[in-house]
Amino acid sequence: MPAYVLGRLLALLPVLFGLSLIVFLIMALIPGDPAQAILGSYATPENVARINRDLGLDRSLPVQYLTWLGNVVTGDLGRSYSLNRPVLDEVLERFSATLILAGAALVLASVLGLLAGIVSAVYQYGLADKLVTFAVLIGISLPSFWLGLLLILLFAVRWRLLPVSGMYAIYGGGGLVDLLWHLILPATTLAVVAAGVIARLTRSAMLEVLRQDFVRTARAKGVSERGVVFRHALKAAMVTVIPVIGIQAGFVLGGAVYIETVFQWPGIGRMLVDAIGTRDILLVQGGVLVVAASYVLFNLLADVVQRLLDPRIAA
Amino acid sequence: MKAARGFFARLLRNRMAAAGLLVLALILAVVLAAPILPLADPDATDPARRLLPPFSEGAWLGTDALGRDLLARLVWGSRLSLAVGVAASLLAAVLGSTVGLLAGYLGGWTDTLLMRGIDTLMAFPYLLLALAIVAVLGPGLLNALYAVVVVNIPFFARNVRGVAAGLRHREFVDAARLSGMGSARILLQEVLPNVMPVIVITVSTTIGWMILETAGLSFLGLGSQPPQADLGSMLGEGRKVLINAPHVAAVPGLLVFLIVMSMNLIGDGVRDAIDPRLRTGLPGKPGTATRVERPDVPAGHDGDAGALLDVRNLKVAFDTGSGRNLAVQGVDLAVAPGECLGIIGESGSGKSVTALALARLVPSPPGVITGGVVRFEKDDLLAAPPGLLRRLRGGRIAYVFQDPLTTLHPLMRVGDQVIEAIQAHQRQAAGAARARVHELFAAVRLPEPDRIMQAYPHELSGGQRQRVSIAMALANDPDLIIADEPTTALDVTVQAGILDLLAELRRQRRLALVFISHDFGVIARICDRVAVMHGGEIVETGPVLDVLHRPRHSYTRRLIAAVPVLGRAKEILRTDPLEAPA
Amino acid sequence: MTVIRSALASLFLAGLLVLPALRPADAQIPADVLVVGQIAEPASMDPAVSTATNDFRILVNLYEGLVRYKPGTLEVEPALAESWTISEDGRVYEFKLRQAVTFHDGTPFDAEAVKFNFERMLDENHPAAGTGPFPLAFFFSAIEKVEVVDPQTVRFTLTEAFAPFLSNLAYPTGLIVSPSAVTEQGQDYARNPVGTGPFRFVEWVGSQQVTIERNPDYWGEPAKLQTVVFRPIADANTRAAEMLAGGIDVMVEVPPDALGQFSGGDFQVHEQAGPHLWFLILNTREGPLQDKRVRQAVNYAIDKQVIADNILQGTAVPAKGPIAPAFEWAYDDTIEGYPHDPDKAKALLAEAGAEGARLTFYVAESGSGMLDPVAIGTAIQADLAKVGLEVEIQTYEWNTYLANVNAGLGDKADMAEMAWMTNDPDTLPYLTLRTDALPENGGFNSGYYSNPELDRILDEARRESEQDKRGELYRQAQRIIVEDAPWAFIAHWQQNAVTTGTVQGFALQPSFFLLLDDVSKQ
Repeated sequence: MPAYVLGRLLALLPVLFGLSLIVFLIMALIPGDPAQAILGSYATPENVARINRDLGLDRSLPVQYLTWLGNVVTGDLGRSYSLNRPVLDEVLERFSATLILAGAALVLASVLGLLAGIVSAVYQYGLADKLVTFAVLIGISLPSFWLGLLLILLFAVRWRLLPVSGMYAIYGGGGLVDLLWHLILPATTLAVVAAGVIARLTRSAMLEVLRQDFVRTARAKGVSERGVVFRHALKAAMVTVIPVIGIQAGFVLGGAVYIETVFQWPGIGRMLVDAIGTRDILLVQGGVLVVAASYVLFNLLADVVQRLLDPRIAA
Repeated sequence: MKAARGFFARLLRNRMAAAGLLVLALILAVVLAAPILPLADPDATDPARRLLPPFSEGAWLGTDALGRDLLARLVWGSRLSLAVGVAASLLAAVLGSTVGLLAGYLGGWTDTLLMRGIDTLMAFPYLLLALAIVAVLGPGLLNALYAVVVVNIPFFARNVRGVAAGLRHREFVDAARLSGMGSARILLQEVLPNVMPVIVITVSTTIGWMILETAGLSFLGLGSQPPQADLGSMLGEGRKVLINAPHVAAVPGLLVFLIVMSMNLIGDGVRDAIDPRLRTGLPGKPGTATRVERPDVPAGHDGDAGALLDVRNLKVAFDTGSGRNLAVQGVDLAVAPGECLGIIGESGSGKSVTALALARLVPSPPGVITGGVVRFEKDDLLAAPPGLLRRLRGGRIAYVFQDPLTTLHPLMRVGDQVIEAIQAHQRQAAGAARARVHELFAAVRLPEPDRIMQAYPHELSGGQRQRVSIAMALANDPDLIIADEPTTALDVTVQAGILDLLAELRRQRRLALVFISHDFGVIARICDRVAVMHGGEIVETGPVLDVLHRPRHSYTRRLIAAVPVLGRAKEILRTDPLEAPA
Repeated sequence: MTVIRSALASLFLAGLLVLPALRPADAQIPADVLVVGQIAEPASMDPAVSTATNDFRILVNLYEGLVRYKPGTLEVEPALAESWTISEDGRVYEFKLRQAVTFHDGTPFDAEAVKFNFERMLDENHPAAGTGPFPLAFFFSAIEKVEVVDPQTVRFTLTEAFAPFLSNLAYPTGLIVSPSAVTEQGQDYARNPVGTGPFRFVEWVGSQQVTIERNPDYWGEPAKLQTVVFRPIADANTRAAEMLAGGIDVMVEVPPDALGQFSGGDFQVHEQAGPHLWFLILNTREGPLQDKRVRQAVNYAIDKQVIADNILQGTAVPAKGPIAPAFEWAYDDTIEGYPHDPDKAKALLAEAGAEGARLTFYVAESGSGMLDPVAIGTAIQADLAKVGLEVEIQTYEWNTYLANVNAGLGDKADMAEMAWMTNDPDTLPYLTLRTDALPENGGFNSGYYSNPELDRILDEARRESEQDKRGELYRQAQRIIVEDAPWAFIAHWQQNAVTTGTVQGFALQPSFFLLLDDVSKQ
């Protein structure tokens, strides 16, 4: 297993290298440059040239890229001109916020999705199945910004039960309880789609597994129905569901932009969109690298869990 | 063509998919008819009449922030969104499948390179990729379409590659290669048709998602250019007035929702209709116990006074799409304590169904017990409440199945599986249960019980697995073991060992045994009596030696003749004389 | 399967019971704390670096300049400088500085500090030049040298007479930072500001909040509030929801359609016209708009009143010419401009033989001061369609948009949206309408308008230090520009804000700044 994990981690390097090159090229191709973004209406060629000189953007593209790459190897991701702080600080801060949101959403989505999937498989074609199937369809077909705003208007504005936006209360805030409190709405909104996907998959995986011979064996042993569903069927179904949860993790991480915007969550998705807008190439590079690496790591984690769960794949 | 008709028939049989098709067809009809419908000009602004609520005069669905007619924009906007979504799906399917086919079929370096590229693409946050593409190409619906296509290529590439890689070394591909076909022709003529179902399934399940994504880009202002309406840009415009005029966003939102939902429903239907596992007609997941639908319960029958198991007139049927097929048509059986009854017949004769029906383990749906009585001592198992049934299963009635690789749980250590069997019926501490497993493993002559308890099924040999199954069946000292072809999957020497073990256990523990097999030699070796099944009925029954030497039914004679070497059966009889139950 | 059912039920019940129990103690905002809902995360707290109005709303409370705009006007009054003298030729400005003023870090404010501030921006070899780039340093490019006469006197010598100099000093780029803080912090200064203002900096939590508090050592009237928290809430709907839910006390830049939510009751809506102009750049070099009559027709065809009243819901007033009425001393209120008159437009088009001309129209998706550019663009497109002009819109993301427009419209586009907020009537025409400001000369005259007479008037106005005479020159300029119609004049933005009923003493400024030292809560 350690050799496998190491191998996968090494395979991450070329992916990240390729990504950084793509990001760099894209940012070079996009019209408008940092100087333009800083100066806005005042972007005279003179001013632009001065700022490009200040930011080191007057050098040739390969030189810029190689300089950046050289710094990255030493752990220096550069400095964001639009935020006036080191890229690493900003990226880590924003990424941890996204991780909290995405993590909460993923846990919620997994719990809800698995439960819904199990219920709907166990009561296949029954009322519960129909309700779950319908709810799931609604969930995966709803635009999330719409759902988010609806939840805000109901829970925060109309009933004043939950905070509208932000990560901590401005006043008397801080601490885990406050964080959880602010997490409820955005995490729920973000979890809806993933929960739907997981529920659908769990349902079909459970149905598949419940037809297997070993489930008949469990019944022939006199194992209770609960044991059959949770100990036998669910365990086997998880082998198919876990990798999909891994992929959903990637989506939740990358797709949190709308939710981060609607709920003013200080996450990395929003940061990346803003950074593209301000042509903050170093910040975009740093953000994409972290997001991509985390995507790969989530999938690796899912694979490892899958391997732990299914001894047949190991080795 | 027939296949296609079957496909549509199956699709339409799925009520949800049919509903989805209906909704989509309605939307498509309206959208296609847009030029001839009496709609207002979708682009005519009238700011003085802005944000009218639905059902206003002259604007059924109200107006947007510029006073444009929402109904007209909705119809024209859906037209555009649907066209773009479908085009994006098809384009992504073609490009992604090409990459997947090449990677999967060629393998080696091409595969590594292409799939590394796909990995990189997937690791890129999808929204950013789309944003970047549109930023480079400039805004416009066509560029948004390209972005969505690029983002979705990996899904097709990955799915198709998996299947194509599996096909690479199949016989028909090798044959084509040997016959001198070029790679391109093999790909197109041999591999592609086999990959097609995967592509169709991926298209049908992602098309809704694509429409949502295209709408998402338009929503961000990266799609259609004003004043052109598409669902995404309508949502984006509506969002600005969401608080004071929610209908402006709700109307296109609802339609996006309807379209995506109907696409998803159809997608699911297509998947189910293509999925070969569902073609064989197993529509649902099996319940706890076989459903019993007896028109009348045979009353007043006490059964054979001395019998442990007494089966009368057992009928089992299977529901299929075209009706109910009777698989077991009125079987009578009786097993005395300690007796071994063999049931013999060829595959499809109903012998395994009979065996499973005894403890109501026939999967249901589609299986139904349509008549008869199964009496175990005094209880009619066909009327037993779930609790009693559960206590009997694995308690006094135990099963041994044919192929222990599939019948043991692949992800649980075998020791735990036996412990579970014990603990399902006895309150036993973990330590005591483990000790009991040791005893059982010793009884079935498994060496190194500690190592084997820790092993997973796939780490054991076939014979070891079957011994584990038998140990599991013995766990609660049953009175009756029903063994459904327990040796069929094993090679001959192992088979003999297992048979010896069963015979010995039966002797030691006074077990009754119902032994199902298609091999007269095997039955003759361990059973007292035999029932011969054919076409769901018992055609002949009697002591093994009588039946073997004086078969009355022509089917029995054929079965005996089918024993590989006729002489060998007699030899078994000679060298291993049956002992009368003591 | 009762197990699952009961598991679900208990989960639901647990949720119902636990959530309210977990709810944090009601986090009411205390009476001496004001929470402001901003439209974005600030970019920098260094006034020499920052370019965004959004940042200025915070900066003007932390820092002061030598001069400032008199509350409610765009006229200059003393701030850190008590008085000043201007030489005859308009090239030498000498400022007497206020005594006993200290920065928040305790270091004194004096002439050396002033010299440091301007040399940091202008001299590339200055020790603190690395804290840049300073994008708006060209506001002060006329400065030849800054001299310390004595600790309380500083002298600026300009290369030539430059009338907007004082006004530029009052702009946030001229706010004075603490030299010792800049020297110590280096690049980190942008996130650790030190000024002399009525509030001092407390903390900046990335994309969550910037907190400032009362400066107890302020030289003037101390601020009434103890603490002000600026929260960036980028999404306008969310910002409105926060306001409705009581999460913020002040909300700036209320979207026009959300205003209805705040009418009456517990909220107060504030409005203030500012030096803002929203216009269309018309291509005078290529295509049908080369003809003045077609440009005038475009102006007549657009219904500016409807745009201001309906699309912008009264958050803007129709524009009649290139200079905003907020510049009272320079504005010509006799100008009629181009009232909505489709018939006249059609007649002009017929005269020019341009009926049914096809025009390409650059539209921004968003952007500083652009209001609701897509909706306005679409309305304009529809208005022009009514007089027979066929307009094709191309939308661009803001930075791409600027890159495209600033390069000149060339043969790619006929019209482009644009908006400017300026602090002096000189800035806009000087940068965007002169012959010397053509794109090929590095200016913003993207529509290639050129009129030697206007060039002469603008140059003269720039050198004229007497305000009345300058005003007259600008009025002349307005008449020329309106007649030649190099632009279509659309609207002047009326900045707005909503406060809760408890907020007292709140007023918006024509400069679009947000001065909070007089604000209190009841």
